[in-house]
Amino acid sequence: MSRTGVFVCHCGSNIAGALDVERVAEAAGKLPGVRYAATYKYMCSEQGQQLVRDAIAEHGLDRIVIASCSPRMHENTFRKLLKDTPVNPYMLEIANIREQCAWVHTDREQATEKAIDLVRMAVAKVSKNKPLHSSFIPVHKKALVIGAGIAGIQAALDIADAGYEVTLLEKESSIGGHMVMLDKTFPTLDCSACISTPKMSEVAAHPNVTLMTGSTVESVGGYVGNFDVTIRQKAKYVNHDLCTGCGLCETKCPAKVTSEFNQQLCTRTAIFRPFPQAVPAKPVIDPDSCRKLSGKARCGVCQAVCPLGAIDFEDKDKLITDTYGAIVVATGYELVDWAPLYPEYGGGKYPDVITGLQYERLVNASGPTEGKILRPSDKSVPKEIVIVKCVGSRDKKKGRAYCSRACCMYSAKHAHQILDKIPDACVTVFYMDVRTPGKNYEEFYDRAREDGARYVRGRVAKIFRENGKLICRGEDTLLGRSVEVPADMVILETAMTPAPEIRELCARLSISTDEYGWVQEAHPKLRPVETQTAGVYLAGTCQGPKDIPDTVAQAGAAAAKVCILFSKNEIEGSPMISAVDENKCCGCSACVRVCPYRAVTLEEIDSREINGTVKRHVARVNAGLCQGCGACAAACRTGAIDLLGFTNAQILKEVDALCL
Amino acid sequence: MPVNEKWMPKILAFCCNWCTYTGADLAGLNRMKYPANVRVLRVPCSSRVSPQFVLRAFQKGCDGVMVCGCHPGDCHYTSGNYYTRRRFMVLKEMLEFNGIEPERFQTRWISGSEAGKFRDTVAEVSEIVTKLGPNTAFNERRAENV
Amino acid sequence: MSDIQSALHKRARALLENGDVEYVIGWENARGENKTRPAFIRRAEDAERLVWNRWCVNSTAKYLLHDRWPKGKIAICARGCDTRAINRMLSDGQVKRENIYILGIPCAGVENQICRRCAHRNPLVYDELLGEPAEEKTDFDRFEKVKEMQAMTLEQRRQMWEDEFTKCIRCYACRNVCPACNCRECYADQYRTGWQGKQFNAVENRVYGLTRAYHVGDRCIECGECERVCPMDLPIMLQTGRMLMECNELFGQYECGLSDDETPALGTYNLNDADSFG
Repeated sequence: MSRTGVFVCHCGSNIAGALDVERVAEAAGKLPGVRYAATYKYMCSEQGQQLVRDAIAEHGLDRIVIASCSPRMHENTFRKLLKDTPVNPYMLEIANIREQCAWVHTDREQATEKAIDLVRMAVAKVSKNKPLHSSFIPVHKKALVIGAGIAGIQAALDIADAGYEVTLLEKESSIGGHMVMLDKTFPTLDCSACISTPKMSEVAAHPNVTLMTGSTVESVGGYVGNFDVTIRQKAKYVNHDLCTGCGLCETKCPAKVTSEFNQQLCTRTAIFRPFPQAVPAKPVIDPDSCRKLSGKARCGVCQAVCPLGAIDFEDKDKLITDTYGAIVVATGYELVDWAPLYPEYGGGKYPDVITGLQYERLVNASGPTEGKILRPSDKSVPKEIVIVKCVGSRDKKKGRAYCSRACCMYSAKHAHQILDKIPDACVTVFYMDVRTPGKNYEEFYDRAREDGARYVRGRVAKIFRENGKLICRGEDTLLGRSVEVPADMVILETAMTPAPEIRELCARLSISTDEYGWVQEAHPKLRPVETQTAGVYLAGTCQGPKDIPDTVAQAGAAAAKVCILFSKNEIEGSPMISAVDENKCCGCSACVRVCPYRAVTLEEIDSREINGTVKRHVARVNAGLCQGCGACAAACRTGAIDLLGFTNAQILKEVDALCL
Repeated sequence: MPVNEKWMPKILAFCCNWCTYTGADLAGLNRMKYPANVRVLRVPCSSRVSPQFVLRAFQKGCDGVMVCGCHPGDCHYTSGNYYTRRRFMVLKEMLEFNGIEPERFQTRWISGSEAGKFRDTVAEVSEIVTKLGPNTAFNERRAENV
Repeated sequence: MSDIQSALHKRARALLENGDVEYVIGWENARGENKTRPAFIRRAEDAERLVWNRWCVNSTAKYLLHDRWPKGKIAICARGCDTRAINRMLSDGQVKRENIYILGIPCAGVENQICRRCAHRNPLVYDELLGEPAEEKTDFDRFEKVKEMQAMTLEQRRQMWEDEFTKCIRCYACRNVCPACNCRECYADQYRTGWQGKQFNAVENRVYGLTRAYHVGDRCIECGECERVCPMDLPIMLQTGRMLMECNELFGQYECGLSDDETPALGTYNLNDADSFG
């Protein structure tokens, strides 16, 4: 028989004024298993708590019911109190007779009756409570940052500067992401490479950072503090330990393909560094375009010319496994492939209809034209230029209802740069709205207009070629008439879209994405850099379109979250999680299906059955992943999986007690 | 059992800790008033509520049962209430098929800020169940008296 | 049918002779005219004991659960309904496909009411098919009886179930025969948790009936064995049928046991699921 103590709080007059606390205590005293029942003015006060301690000692109580305010208020207070007593902190139930009784009912008699019911339910439930103990999960103080654009670099640097080890993963052969492709950054117009390449070098040289380029996440197991991650490092075919990055191989390689870094505006060789300031500053071979590796020819020129013998055609992908305490997802964005979406803009058949990012390469001093704005078709200087905003953004018909956020500003930048570099240029910007919510953004937009950019409010309906000009036909919605603007070159400010691999990665990390594939944060307002998986954080545009300042700020926030986690040696896990009775479990996986955290898995066990020891599958709960929702417990027909603290037996008792 | 004027239904409300229970607390904090015949049973998530708990409540003599959780899309545990929704959409029909007034069983989505909705829901369900009278179809004690 | 039976004899004998299977589950003649019973044939010379005729009403599939970890393979005679039961158990992870050798038997219906509303007269999964495929029928309403009952008033239904469940003797035959009832320990037998009282009264019996319906309703393969074996003739299929019908209406075309990798309706969700709760 249990030995329960019931303590009814007056809460001054908050409770005692609305119902008869003495009668509640008296009724409680008569309940089965109750050894002691008392009232006190303020149970949460030191004197009230002492009353509990004394009663435990005097009456040998083994479980406690406090009838007071909401458990959301003081459950932890009383759990803490029990820590120093022989009673386990989880042998406690709270009857909420203040918020859900005294404060909401006017009839004293009814309120008293209800309070007695609530106490009876709590006493019944606590009779089935079992002592629970927190599990302590060790924290492996090493972080994995996935994606080495500006977000990943910043997060890695911040975590590394705090003194923790970081592995920075990048799927391309160089870190830097999109930011190094850009020419200048709004609104200050500082050179993008000048501010991002120092960070790239810094992160590469940081003693706490391990850089892994050409690498992707193969699999993720484990949980917060202890993620077991397998990384696939693609074959480089160049031994970077030997290579000095002299670049001789690149000059001799006969295979030419379009350059991804330069947005298809020029070519690169098969053995290549994507750009001169690449980090690491050593080439890799792209096996698809390499004549030897693709089997098209015997070639091997690079191997012949390399003075150090660094070329290794036998190189293979490597799988590397390590344990990480925290993961930052910083996989960034891609620009939407506009051509198939916009047959009305020529669907890619006009070479002089380019994207904003292609323009960035054109205007960049280290780009294919060395910074001269020359249109792709005939390398002439375009005079009339049309900029079209919201290409693929803010258009449900094109599949994306969201705003890409950065385009308003960089289209203003593009206009400004063109007017600056080509004095007699004429720039027309087709826009839906101009959104400038950032420090000095509105001023920058004003400046672009003062420079002479003509802003026309409306979408471009069609782009077609006529007499050597690209005609942009659209509507000026402010004037309510259609317009046709001839252009030598058209820049499409295309939508940001999540990196295509993101869904797969999210599935591996047990985090979710929204309908477009942007990674879902744990709470849109209060937990913007956390995810539903503890220990996995977000930085940058993988979470949604944003500009560089926001990206960097978010990266810092994600790094801070990692550092908070790493500031502890262990994390205390709630003991109120699911547990499996393997004897009962038949391995039907009903629980596995409903778990939002993939905390329940089927595992094979040796089981003694009538015909000897056999292998069979049972559910297992990963204490590090389980958040204690109990969906599994309700899905289990046989009650083999149960939620500790809210077990089937506890709830059934509680239900029964109400109806007595 | 004759329904006299004094008869008050007993209604059990399973409320999820993160939304509806918080909303109920907020109703208290705002000193809203609602009928005293609802008893809240706290669960971490509405998906914790096995339909068997609901059957048990009716069996043991509850006149009405409510299951309340976060609005779909707002579940603290991401997806719990989607399962809740399926389970209880089906259970409600099953109760009706078994001759139990479906109005005795109510599922509602009430967020942590919807104290007013909690109050109104309790008042509404209380009124519905009072009108229906005592649960005789599925109540073991009444069945014993038959 | 006799063709199938002779093919069955031949194949069962060969399988046993070659040691391909440990035993064959099928039917054999029982005492009394027009009666068969489940048979477990272990010796090749006994293969001729197997019969296939319109009196073969027992489902064979559930017997697989009696031998979850067999030493060798089990050959099983399986009609459409039996293969749905096998799919059920495969989906639920209760048996392993590699342990089973399925002798598929096309079946135009046996002496069982349920066969009139059978939409799967041919085995859905088999290692070999005996005889020619049977003609499928669709000229019936799967939920005809449920709909009839729905036309009654609430009070009529309450009374009907009260009457029916008063008869129930809680022998659990419906559970024991059901291929979806594959728990290691039925909730109803767990006195410690106290899910289910042991008393015999209409309410306790109804709690059992409804709970069972809920436990198997979204996985029911509609074989009707529960109703066939009920000694008190309770219309048990109406309960699971109602639940299937509801799943069908709410979550789209719903039929179980058609593949070996099914997610039950209540084990998944759709963001746009029907929601009348508010």
